[in-house]
Amino acid sequence: MKMRKVKYIYWAGVLMLTLFAVQPASAQKTADKNSPASVELLKAKSLWFNTTNGAGLTLDKMYNYSSVDFTYQLKSGDFKKLQDGERERLLGVSTEGGQKLGTGYAWGKFSFNNEMQRNTQFNSTMLDPGRGMPFYTVDPNISDWKKQDYRLEMKVASQPLWERVILGIQGEYFANTGAKQVDPRAETYFYHINIKPGLVALFNNHAVGINFVYENMVQESGTTNSNGQVNQDVYVMKGLGNYYPSVVGGLQSLGRFVYSGNKVGAALQYSYGFSDIKFLLEGKYDYGVEDVISTPTKPKKEGSVVTEIMEAKLSAVKVGDNLSRLELSYSNRNMDGIEHVQVLDNTYEVQQWVDLYSSIRSTYKQEEMSARFDFYRGADHEYKWKAGIFTTYKGNDDVYVLPHSRMFVKNMFFGADAKTSISLGGRTKLLAGAGFTYKNNFDGKYRYRGADPTSIIITQFMTPDFEFMKQSYYKIGGELTLHSGLGKFGKAGFYLKAALDYYKPIEGDNSRVQTNFGLGFIF
Amino acid sequence: MKNRYKIILIAILAMFSAISCQQFSDVSKIGEVESLNTVVSVTLNLGSAPVPDMLNVRMINYSERYEVSTTMSPNGTVTIPDIIPGIYTITVTSEKSQDGFTYNYSGNAVNVDIVTNNKQITVNVGASKSGALVFKEVFYCGSRTPTGGSYFRDQFYEIYNNSETVQNVRNLSIAMIAPMTATANKPVWPATEDPSLFVYALQIWSVPNDKDYPLNPGESIIIAQMADDHKKSNLNPTSPVNLLSAEFETLVNTTSLIQDNPAINMVMSFWPTPTPQWLTTVFGGAFVIYFPNEPINPANFVTPVGLSTRHYRIPIEDVVDALELVGNATQVQLKRMPAVLDAGAATVGGTYLSVSVARKVKETVDGGRAILFDTNNSSEDFEVMSPPVIRRYGAVAPSWNTWK
Repeated sequence: MKMRKVKYIYWAGVLMLTLFAVQPASAQKTADKNSPASVELLKAKSLWFNTTNGAGLTLDKMYNYSSVDFTYQLKSGDFKKLQDGERERLLGVSTEGGQKLGTGYAWGKFSFNNEMQRNTQFNSTMLDPGRGMPFYTVDPNISDWKKQDYRLEMKVASQPLWERVILGIQGEYFANTGAKQVDPRAETYFYHINIKPGLVALFNNHAVGINFVYENMVQESGTTNSNGQVNQDVYVMKGLGNYYPSVVGGLQSLGRFVYSGNKVGAALQYSYGFSDIKFLLEGKYDYGVEDVISTPTKPKKEGSVVTEIMEAKLSAVKVGDNLSRLELSYSNRNMDGIEHVQVLDNTYEVQQWVDLYSSIRSTYKQEEMSARFDFYRGADHEYKWKAGIFTTYKGNDDVYVLPHSRMFVKNMFFGADAKTSISLGGRTKLLAGAGFTYKNNFDGKYRYRGADPTSIIITQFMTPDFEFMKQSYYKIGGELTLHSGLGKFGKAGFYLKAALDYYKPIEGDNSRVQTNFGLGFIF
Repeated sequence: MKNRYKIILIAILAMFSAISCQQFSDVSKIGEVESLNTVVSVTLNLGSAPVPDMLNVRMINYSERYEVSTTMSPNGTVTIPDIIPGIYTITVTSEKSQDGFTYNYSGNAVNVDIVTNNKQITVNVGASKSGALVFKEVFYCGSRTPTGGSYFRDQFYEIYNNSETVQNVRNLSIAMIAPMTATANKPVWPATEDPSLFVYALQIWSVPNDKDYPLNPGESIIIAQMADDHKKSNLNPTSPVNLLSAEFETLVNTTSLIQDNPAINMVMSFWPTPTPQWLTTVFGGAFVIYFPNEPINPANFVTPVGLSTRHYRIPIEDVVDALELVGNATQVQLKRMPAVLDAGAATVGGTYLSVSVARKVKETVDGGRAILFDTNNSSEDFEVMSPPVIRRYGAVAPSWNTWK
C-alpha cells in the first residue's frame, strides 16, 4: 500500500515537472541556450533562491529553465564509517525547473534515487544513521542495504502586491524506504514534509523577509529474522556507546520502532542592493521534538530528542561583466537526548507503560562556521571560468551526562576548486573542473565511562567510527561535462558528465573513491 | 469547492499544530539528570536464627547495567549515593555460621523506582538454614545441530544433596512456574487467597511415589527431558551431553526419535496441554522443586484474571529450592519468582549455545564432597558453564541407579 502511494507521488512529480519542462520559454530575456554552466551561474547570482523564503524568488529575477538529469554514482573503498557501504551504487533521476509567472516565479524539483549499499555494519534499522538520532538499533552482522527515496521540492513567489509585498511558499516532501538484507533484517519507512510560508516587504532598495517553518516526520522500522531458528542479538543505542542489549526473534523479540517528530521555526532576511552589489543577511531558528517509541500496540518510550538550530548567513554578490560571490555562515545545533524511566501498569484492564521520570541524559552540540568566495569570469549567461576558495570549521561536542562520557571532534576544512568552459566548436562545450579539499583534525577525544567498555559496541563500533571522524584527509576531484545544443537554433541541449573524487587519509593505507556519471537535458 | 480545500488545509494545519504543541509541552520542563541518594533500612524476620554481623547491600539497575554495593549494620540504615534515577532491585544478603549450622540471610525489593532524592527503602530480611536439596546444574538453552538447526531435547535438571544428611526424593516434584518467559506482563491472580503466598505452576512432574529414592550427601539426581545419548547420529552429534545415566526422564510418548530409556519415568502430575516432550522454554523458565503436602489434583486448577489457561497453585512454604532463569541479563528486572524464593536470576544470555548454569562451589569437605552456594539468590549462586556436564565437582549417582 505504501509503495503504491509512493508511486503515485512519483508520477505526480514527473507530471508536474514535465509540465514545467514544456512551458514555452516566451519570457526568457535572451536567446542564449541553457547549459550546466548557465544554471550554476543563475543560482549563484540568485541570493534569495538560497534562502528558506520562497517569496524572495521574485527579487532574483531568474529566467526560465528546465532540466532532466540521470545519475549513476559509485563509491568504493574502506575509508568510511562502518555504517556506510564498502561499495555503494546509486541510480538517480531528477528533474528541475523554474518558470516565470508574470512577475512572480515558481520553481520545482523532483528526484528519485535507488541505492544499494554493500557490506554495511552496525545499522539495523536506520535509513540515514547520520541524521542525528541517538536512539536506534545496531547489530554486528555485515549486511547489504537496499534503499530508495523520492523528493519533491517547490518554491513559489507571487508578483509584488501593491509594489510593496511579495507572498511566497516553499515546501518539500521526502519519502524514503529501505530494507536490510541480512538477519536481523529490517524494513524501514521514513517521510518528512515541510512547508515554509513567507513574505517579503519592499522599501526602495531594501527588502525584508520573514518565513515560518513547519515540519512533520515519521519513521517506522520493524525487525525480523529470515532464519527463525537463530535469534539475533541486537543493541539499542542511547548515545555515546551506551546501549541496552536485546534480541530479534523468539518470544522476547524487539518490537517495532516508531519515530515521530515535529519542527517549527522562523527565518528573517534582509537584503539591500546598491550599484552592482547586492547582499543578503539571513537568520534562522528551528525547534523540533522527536519521540521514539517501541511496540506501538503497547507503546514504550525509548527516548526523545529536542533539537534547536540557529543559523546566520551573509551572502553578497557583485555582478558586472564578472560575478564575485562571498558567503559567510554560522550554525549552531544543540540537541538533548531525553530518556524516560517507565513502569508497566499491570492492572488487567490497563496494561500500559507509565512515565515516572524523564531527564536529559545526553547532549549534542555542533558548531559550524564557513566562508566561501567564488569568482566567475563572465556573468552574462554562462561563465568562461570560475574559481573558488573555502574554509569551514566544524566542531562536535557530545556528552552523556550520567555515567559521564564525552566525545568531541574539531575539524577544519580548506579547499579550492575551479572550472573552465572550453569551446569545442559549433554548439559544443566542455566544462572541465578540479577541486582539492584538505581536512585537518586539530582536536578530538572519546572517553566512555559506561557500563561495558569491553563490549563490541565500544571496541568494534564506536571507537573505530570516532577514529574515522578524527582522521585528517585530503580529497582531490575532477569533473568533465560535455554539453551540446539540440537542434540548430533551439535553447535545448544535452550533457554528459563524469566526475571522480578520491579521499585519502593522511595516516593509513585506506582510501575511498566516488565516481559520478551523468546524462542530462537542459531546456 | 475552493473553500472546501481551504477548510481541509486549515484543519490539517490545526491538527499538526495541536500534535506538535502537545509534543513540545511534554518535553518543556525536562531537566538534566542528577544523581540521587537513597536510604536503605532493613526489617529482620529471623525466627530462631542469630542476628548477622553485617549485611551486604546491592542495588542493581538492570536496564542501565549499573550497580552499587555497600554494607550496613543490621540495626541501622545506610545512605547510598550516586544513584542514577531508574528501576532498581535491592538485595540484602549475609551469612553466618553458628552452632554447626550455616544461616543464609536474604531479602530484596524488586522493581523499586528511585526517581526522587533520599528515597527511603525498607527491605524485609529473612533467614534460613542452607537447603538440603538444591538445583545444581540446569541445561535449558539447547544446542545447535551440525547444520545450524536448533536442538532442545537435551535439556536436563540436576538436583543435589547439599546437606550432611540423607534425603529422600520420593515424590519430589519439579514445576515450571508462570509466566513461561520473563516478561513485564505478569498474570493477575484471583484474590480468593493471598496470591503472594503461592507460586503458580504451568507444568509439574513428580518422582514416582512408589518407593524411597534415598540420596546421600554429595549425591545428585538428573531429571532429563529425554534420557538418551544425544550425541547419537539420529539426534544431535554436536549435543554436549549423553544423558543415558540420568535417574529420571519426563517421557510423554515414544516417537521415532523419543524412546523409553533406562531412566525412571517421572509422573506427569499437572500439564493441561501436554506436547510430545517436556520442552521448557530455551529463553529460561522459572523452576521450583517441592514436596506436595497433598496429592496433586489437576482438577484443582486456577486461572489468571481474564484468561483461561490452567495453573496449579503451590504454597511457597512447601518449596525446597527455586531457580529463576531469564533470557539475558537485562531481563532480570522482569523476574517472575518471588524474592523470598530467589532474589536474583541466572542466565546463559542466549539460546542454543550448548552452555548451562551451575551452582558455584563454596567449599570442599571430607572426601572431596562439594558444598555449593545457596544464598537464595541465583544471580550470586550460579555461573555459566561450557559445556554442560552432569555430576560435575565429583557429585555421585545414587546407588539405586543401576544403569549409570
